Amino acid sequence: MLSYLLAVTVIALIYSLMTLGLNLQYGFTGLINFGVVGFFAIGAYTSALLVVAGWPILLALPCAVAASALVSWPVALLSLRLRIEYFAIVMLGFAETIRLVVTSEGWLTGGVQGVTGIPSLAAALGLSMESTLLTALVALGAVIGVVWLSRRLVASPFGRIIRAIRDDEDAVQALGKAPGRFKVAVFVLGSASAGLAGALYAHYITYISPDQFMSLLTFYIWVAMILGGVGRVGGAVLGTAVLIGLMEGSRFLRDILPGVAEVEMASIRLGVIGLALMVLMRFRPEGLLGKGRGA
Amino acid sequence: MDSAYLLNLAFNGAVIGLITALAALSITLVFGIARFPNAATGDVATAGAFAGLLGPVLGSGALPIILVGMATSAAVSLLFYVVLFRALAKRSPVASLIASIGMAFFLRAVLTYFIGHDQRVYPLPLVRAVPFGPLRVQAADIQVIVWAGAALAVTFALIHLTPIGKRMRAVADNPDLARSSGINANKVMVVMWVVAGLLAGLAGTLLGVKTVVSPEMGWDLLMPAFAATILGTIGNPLGAVLGGLLIGLAQELSTPLVGFTYKIGVGFLVLLLTLLIRPQGLFAKNSLVR
Repeated sequence: MLSYLLAVTVIALIYSLMTLGLNLQYGFTGLINFGVVGFFAIGAYTSALLVVAGWPILLALPCAVAASALVSWPVALLSLRLRIEYFAIVMLGFAETIRLVVTSEGWLTGGVQGVTGIPSLAAALGLSMESTLLTALVALGAVIGVVWLSRRLVASPFGRIIRAIRDDEDAVQALGKAPGRFKVAVFVLGSASAGLAGALYAHYITYISPDQFMSLLTFYIWVAMILGGVGRVGGAVLGTAVLIGLMEGSRFLRDILPGVAEVEMASIRLGVIGLALMVLMRFRPEGLLGKGRGA
Repeated sequence: MDSAYLLNLAFNGAVIGLITALAALSITLVFGIARFPNAATGDVATAGAFAGLLGPVLGSGALPIILVGMATSAAVSLLFYVVLFRALAKRSPVASLIASIGMAFFLRAVLTYFIGHDQRVYPLPLVRAVPFGPLRVQAADIQVIVWAGAALAVTFALIHLTPIGKRMRAVADNPDLARSSGINANKVMVVMWVVAGLLAGLAGTLLGVKTVVSPEMGWDLLMPAFAATILGTIGNPLGAVLGGLLIGLAQELSTPLVGFTYKIGVGFLVLLLTLLIRPQGLFAKNSLVR
């Protein structure tokens, strides 16, 4: 039971990194990123492949973060050129395309079989510590770091500008600040955070394959962010914890409701996320604890 | 790579393109009038395709399959307008877009929960392909061409030749002016969502007739359909059709070059290039307006 709770905590912390990133992008700046899972996948594959190829993990993790950030930079430039609805659709297509690439380029990614035998953090660092506990501590450190960074960022003049961009971009322009640079910076930062999440995930699960990177995961993160409150740094972590609690709690539901197969459970999770998106948009677009202007 | 092979690829691309065009037409109506890109279009098509499996109960052949599918998709489309999108119309398009993704997931969840993840085929008689010179034409291809052609013609007539079509175009052009001129926006919306549902249902069932029925079929249709919509200029029915044909041709003709898996990526690539080079699409004026 305790080990199960620890495992759920690790996943919640890893997902929190994505939610924090999305909250910077959408919650504070108004960038609609429907491609979170694409950057998560880039981070996961980069770190996994490098470490499997014999790189030290202390080098592979920064490379994973850098890879996500690098890919996100031209994508962010797109956001300056496109209407927000178009950008949203493009991001959806981007994430699906990343999945196509890791499925098709088997010589690099193992294709449908994925990458197996990824060393856990403990193994990669040569520590004789219990691996889940170590991953939990590292993920917790990462979350605290990103929360601290987000808070500093939001409280700074930079933070005032990005919130102003979210609320009235024309006014920002009129004041002589170019919104573009700030948008790109925020988008890259958020994607880097998703890349770090992907790298930690790969070393935690020790096996990755394309079907772990479905667009559903992106909207898990959206629901988590909206639950916690759009534009609240702490809310991102809280919302993720609540959502993972609900979703993972559903595994206990199966003990109570025997006869529900894992396949049906997967359908139920998909349905819950779908229903949550509809109900939240209909009744609480700013989130349960939101301060920002909802959609 | 001989010319006969390429010709067959092109023909197949045109047939798939017609199906993409039906989905794009559904998207373009919603985008032009309700003003958001409806990400649930694909899954509404999937729902119609699965409902079509009940068609043979009513009679043999493709006709009952297609009619049951269309009716189901139209009902689903209208239901979600009434309970969801009508209330969201006051908010930004982003709220409707996010809600439509939720609707897509929800529909797929309901389908997979009750029916499972297996692929299915409609119980249609296998007919030998007819050779037309170097072309091999399947019976399913003829079905697609006839049905899609008829649906496009009817949709076109509805938009340009009927009073409700005129009101639709008025709402697309200027909702406030339309309202103050005494146009009942709710009625326009009801008709529009029903038509959008009928078109999605037809796209789903025809895709099932041509290939197989699977829970992911609609989601995979979504990106090419969005690409066709934007390529053909939002709100332009004829543009959506031409866009769909172009995307279908591009997808099939690129197969020898990029392989089978990247076919869906081709639609995305066209979308990206269109948005960067000519975001207003090929036809530049919302023809729902004209």
